[in-house]
Amino acid sequence: MSNIPVARANFSWRRLAGDFWQLIKMPALAIILAFAVGVVVILLTSRSLTTVGEAYYGLLRGALFKQRGFSETLVATIPYIFLSLAVAVGFKTGLFNIGVEGQYTIGSVCAAWAGVAFSGLPAIIHLPLVLLAGALGGAAWAALPGYLKARTGAHEVISTMMMNYVAFRLAEFLVDGPLRDPLSSGVQTSAISPAAELWKLSAYPARLQDPLNALMVALVAALLVIVLARALLKSSRFAARMQSAARRRSLYIGAGLLVGVLCFVALPPLSKAWWPFTDPYDRLHSGLFLAVLAAVGVWWLLWKTTLGFELRMVGANPSAARYAGVSITRSIILSMAISGALAGLAGTIEVIGVSICGCLPLIFSSGYGWDSIGIALLARNNPFGILAASLLFGAMRNGADLMELNSGVSKYIISLIQALVLLFVSAPAIVRWVYRIKAAPKQEDDAKLTTGWGGPL
Amino acid sequence: MSFALEASGITKSFPGVRANDHVNFAVEHGEIHALLGENGAGKSTLMNILYGLYQPDSGEIKIDGQPVRITSPHDAIDKGIGMVHQHFMLVSPLTVTENIMLGQESLVPGTQALQQLARLDHHKVAGRVRELSKQYGLEVEPDAVVQDLAVGAQQRVEIIKALYRNANILILDEPTAVLTPQEADELFIIMRTLVGQGKSIVFITHKLREVLASADNISVMRAGKMVGSVRPADADQNKLAEMMVGRNVLLQVDKAEARPAGTVLTVKGLQVFDDRRHMAVNDVSLEVRAGEIVGIAGVQGNGQTELAEALTGLRPVAGGHIYMLERETSHATPRRVIESQTSHIPEDRQKHGLVLSFSVRDNMALCTYYQPPFAQGLEIDFSAIDERARELVERYDVRTPDIMTSVGSLSGGNQQKVIVARELTRPVKLLIANQPTRGLDVGSIEFIHQQIVNARDNGAAVLLISAELDEIMSLSDRIAVMYKGRILETLEAKDAVREQLGLLMAGVMKDGMHV
Repeated sequence: MSNIPVARANFSWRRLAGDFWQLIKMPALAIILAFAVGVVVILLTSRSLTTVGEAYYGLLRGALFKQRGFSETLVATIPYIFLSLAVAVGFKTGLFNIGVEGQYTIGSVCAAWAGVAFSGLPAIIHLPLVLLAGALGGAAWAALPGYLKARTGAHEVISTMMMNYVAFRLAEFLVDGPLRDPLSSGVQTSAISPAAELWKLSAYPARLQDPLNALMVALVAALLVIVLARALLKSSRFAARMQSAARRRSLYIGAGLLVGVLCFVALPPLSKAWWPFTDPYDRLHSGLFLAVLAAVGVWWLLWKTTLGFELRMVGANPSAARYAGVSITRSIILSMAISGALAGLAGTIEVIGVSICGCLPLIFSSGYGWDSIGIALLARNNPFGILAASLLFGAMRNGADLMELNSGVSKYIISLIQALVLLFVSAPAIVRWVYRIKAAPKQEDDAKLTTGWGGPL
Repeated sequence: MSFALEASGITKSFPGVRANDHVNFAVEHGEIHALLGENGAGKSTLMNILYGLYQPDSGEIKIDGQPVRITSPHDAIDKGIGMVHQHFMLVSPLTVTENIMLGQESLVPGTQALQQLARLDHHKVAGRVRELSKQYGLEVEPDAVVQDLAVGAQQRVEIIKALYRNANILILDEPTAVLTPQEADELFIIMRTLVGQGKSIVFITHKLREVLASADNISVMRAGKMVGSVRPADADQNKLAEMMVGRNVLLQVDKAEARPAGTVLTVKGLQVFDDRRHMAVNDVSLEVRAGEIVGIAGVQGNGQTELAEALTGLRPVAGGHIYMLERETSHATPRRVIESQTSHIPEDRQKHGLVLSFSVRDNMALCTYYQPPFAQGLEIDFSAIDERARELVERYDVRTPDIMTSVGSLSGGNQQKVIVARELTRPVKLLIANQPTRGLDVGSIEFIHQQIVNARDNGAAVLLISAELDEIMSLSDRIAVMYKGRILETLEAKDAVREQLGLLMAGVMKDGMHV
């Protein structure tokens, strides 16, 4: 046995950077490789180097630089973030929730219903209510296959996929039936109350003039500051200097209150005087903040809470989790419910954030769910990785049209490149071979997805 | 005189480790040569080189004095080297004959042209199996299906498999790990017969007693180097242990007389099914008092696993009762069992005891992560968990670079120390230790034995389940022998005799009746 000294980890920026590079090395190389193969494919079909240039230039311009290009990229990124977070929560528990598309659909229907049914309520109540409705709808839709898995061993890959089709047909029935707007010629629900809409960034100055809306923003801001300040004060460097928990508490609550009051008093007049987002046709909406919050929330849940510890334990080694006293049944159902809630929120936010008709149309599902399984894989289920990977996929989705227009290369080349990214991420041996990287020592998997086929756990 | 097998100057490095460092190893014709060493000493690497699984970085191998290069296991077999692995490489639904010809199938003459569809010549192979079995005293029925055979018989199939391929040198990797003492004795007789007829045997083990009883020559490895060779006549257990570990080792656990107090665990008429719905534990009753160690002896697979799982809430109880300090826990969840201050060192440390991808720190908190001071409400306080983990790493001498290192990258002994540290630093009323030292090195075994005795002396009731009779005998205050799901007899440790326990483990009662 070797004599390894028991050392304490010393913090260093250099090590942090090194760790970070280790973390993103393989995905980054996979992305580069996929785009390189994309060059070859475009060359094979067009036989001209300029087409390759035009295509990638078009992609870049469409995703970032054309008018509202970056905004539109972010608009596409928002549902990706929620849905891939949903997939990641499942993955971490060892569950392959392929049904995010269905939970997204159910979430959007529930949100549309709540958005119409409670018309008249102020935003401060209606908006959270709609978000809650969508989340609960998605959660319930996912908890059912979770329950079936935990109790009967029905594999979630099959049951969630089947539930997708049930969800699509159910949504069609509801939108064409009980929820249909009788006055409209199109098959769609009635208009959602403006109070339940997620504000576009350009709408803030006008919206804030209502004191209740200002109060809502102030509350959210105060809450955010409290959570952030609390986390900061708990981090070791500050905690060492401030021993008293009571003092810490009064400090972060005070900071939150201060920011809340400031927001409430100063934001409405200030935003009227000056506001950076003035383009009324820019579709970027507040869902972006919610998505980032959701990522932080999922990170907190998985790595900072007892529940997250349990879920990760169940994902990494269910036998050991049972030995440690964790209820596998409860963990599976909860994990599916949380996953479904995130997917439902994605649907909700699409309906109340970007829906063109201000309602839920008959055809709403958009394939975001399938892509997000790939995003979660690419990001290795890391919530912050998901933010970056979603942005990449959002950019590609958004830039594809201009790419096609610019170069005549079919926009489906994007799907090809995305598929290649996933292929290379899931087959790291290819990437190592191309870049001549030595294999890392074998790591134990964080979550095992191959277990649990048949038989209750 | 040339050796049957001679390896000289073998060096093999893996990233970060030199697994074999100029190792010299020679086996004479017709001898049983024991290779002794702790886990990680380099025995397996050396054997894998001899069997063609690894290529040495440098060094030379000679068979019968001829230098050879062994490029693959197939090549090793061609050169007359056969290996019997610790985990048998048999296909259980096939017959003995089929297993033996697997990979070297004999075809009925005239059907070869049919290629994959050719008929297997069972008759010819079965005849050869009978011949070999007669010649070497390896009792085996060629037409029996492997899964119906006892472990000892499966091992004989493995040996015949090697002989069928004309092995002259047999490497037996930990062959006695799964056998009763009597079966082990039978194996030694077979080994004698084999060498008597000119075969040579390399016998890998960590059991000192067996080495002294059966080997002609003993080589000891430590930390990748060959420490030396001795004849059994010139060695005793202490000397061998010292060669293995490099220092003096306490083979006998130092323990005071037990001072048992009130009963902690009472089991009455317990019945438990195994995964295949067979009655694995049948009408077991026992009592464990505070301050005593009750050992459950028995060959693996006689219901010990299911008993431990039932006691810890991991497996449903089909009948009977379990009482923990007078409170019934027959149908308690694992968490309730843990919270009633039961600690459990599980049989399979990697499957049940640890989450290998988690850090040492997280594994130290595996059962207590939700209790204060480690958690407040929903939130885990990782600084408290860090602190505890650092303390335990130090106290239990867990060799790890860091508490954030994943447990999967530690050695087996250190992994077990993590479990022992976690389970024994909670308040313990009952400790269930199932195979607590399986596969560990002498140093770790010594340490863990001491911890178990300490737990007893601190007033815990200890139920020790082990297939190693030596372990049972040196630790227990009372010994219960389990056979086919029943406890045949419970003895005071001071009255227990090795031979008698061995017979009980094989199901033979005192009056000679077989159960």
